[in-house]
Amino acid sequence: MAYNNVHPRLSVFSTGSQSSLDYIPTAGTPPPGSGGRQSATPIPKAGPSKGIYDRPLNKTRNAEVSAAAYAFLFSEMIQYTQKRVHGIGDLEKRLSLLGYRIGTRTLELMMWRNEGASKNPKRETRLLPVLYVVHTQLWKAIFGKTADAIEKSVENDDEYMIIDNDPPITKYISIPKEMSQLSCSALTAGIVEALLDGLGFPARVTAHSVPKEGFPLRTTILIKLDRSVMEREEALK
Amino acid sequence: MSYHLFIINPFDTPLYSLTYLSTRPVSGPTSTLASQLPSWSTSAFSGTVAALSGATSVKPPGPPGTGQGKEDRHVVMMIANASLDAIEDVQKTNGSMYLKAIDRFNEWTVSAFITPANMKFVLLHEPKNDEGIRLFFMEVWENYVKLQLNPFHNYRTPIRSPIFDGRVRASAKKHL
Repeated sequence: MAYNNVHPRLSVFSTGSQSSLDYIPTAGTPPPGSGGRQSATPIPKAGPSKGIYDRPLNKTRNAEVSAAAYAFLFSEMIQYTQKRVHGIGDLEKRLSLLGYRIGTRTLELMMWRNEGASKNPKRETRLLPVLYVVHTQLWKAIFGKTADAIEKSVENDDEYMIIDNDPPITKYISIPKEMSQLSCSALTAGIVEALLDGLGFPARVTAHSVPKEGFPLRTTILIKLDRSVMEREEALK
Repeated sequence: MSYHLFIINPFDTPLYSLTYLSTRPVSGPTSTLASQLPSWSTSAFSGTVAALSGATSVKPPGPPGTGQGKEDRHVVMMIANASLDAIEDVQKTNGSMYLKAIDRFNEWTVSAFITPANMKFVLLHEPKNDEGIRLFFMEVWENYVKLQLNPFHNYRTPIRSPIFDGRVRASAKKHL
């Protein structure tokens, strides 16, 4: 390398060929035909660093995560949890806890994206609108589609069910026969529980697998609301 | 005029507090309780009177420096905590996030903002500034959403991020 006649504005990291000396780099444009990463791109200036506070929240609003990458991550999460539990109930509880942490963040982010621009942002205070929020907005925000059905239980008036015919997160999970009660949608149940908790409707949320013909992976998210919620709803009617 | 912001989590723990002194001129008469009482009565109790009336600019003779500041601070925190009851009453029926003025205490007005996840932003202020306060709350909300996206964030522990602090202060300067 000829250090004597290196152009003063050429990056010191450049190991490009001699011909690149003829090219005077302007900020941001890579020189034509120079090799790979060590071409004469200017050294980034030490400007203000872009932290999360500077990124606009709507930037990744429509971003998607590849299903394969997600399945990989989820399988690791399940394996990690499986090593540390003694039973199916405990496994579901742990997945639900992981889902809870996701849910609190999702709730705020989702509501901000929906209402952040409006003059008078609203929260839901009645039960049925909140369940619709879960059914439509939450499912759309996380899975890109709305849930397939929302039902009220006939036996108990404090139970509601959200049904998903093909939950994306458990698509690639095969459950062995001896663990047939396990539903890895416990993660989704945790997310729903966090959302209901945040909005002021404490509930116990569990996931159950209810296969139907044509939909072997059909899952029901069962929401059992707290007594206090039902009393409040009665009082507000 | 001073503004006091408190961020309170659903377990009623204050996670963040900020006192901001605005340099904007305030319209309208601002008579403090202390100035309306005759001077002979205020001298003995001036500390307490000043604190209860919310005035932070009265400097009584007596205990040096920090005594006055601490009294004010306790009263302010007491007012904020007392207003939580009023907030919870309104929260059940009111569907908006920005609850305007929910409580008054002598000259302090308490405005509140409830996020969807039940975090309460309580602002104590003297002058009326609805629009500015609304914009301020929206910006605090946005910063809070960004803060709690952190996977290590725990909503039971106080908020100590200096960046969050800086941004809230900048937002206060802009709107209040």
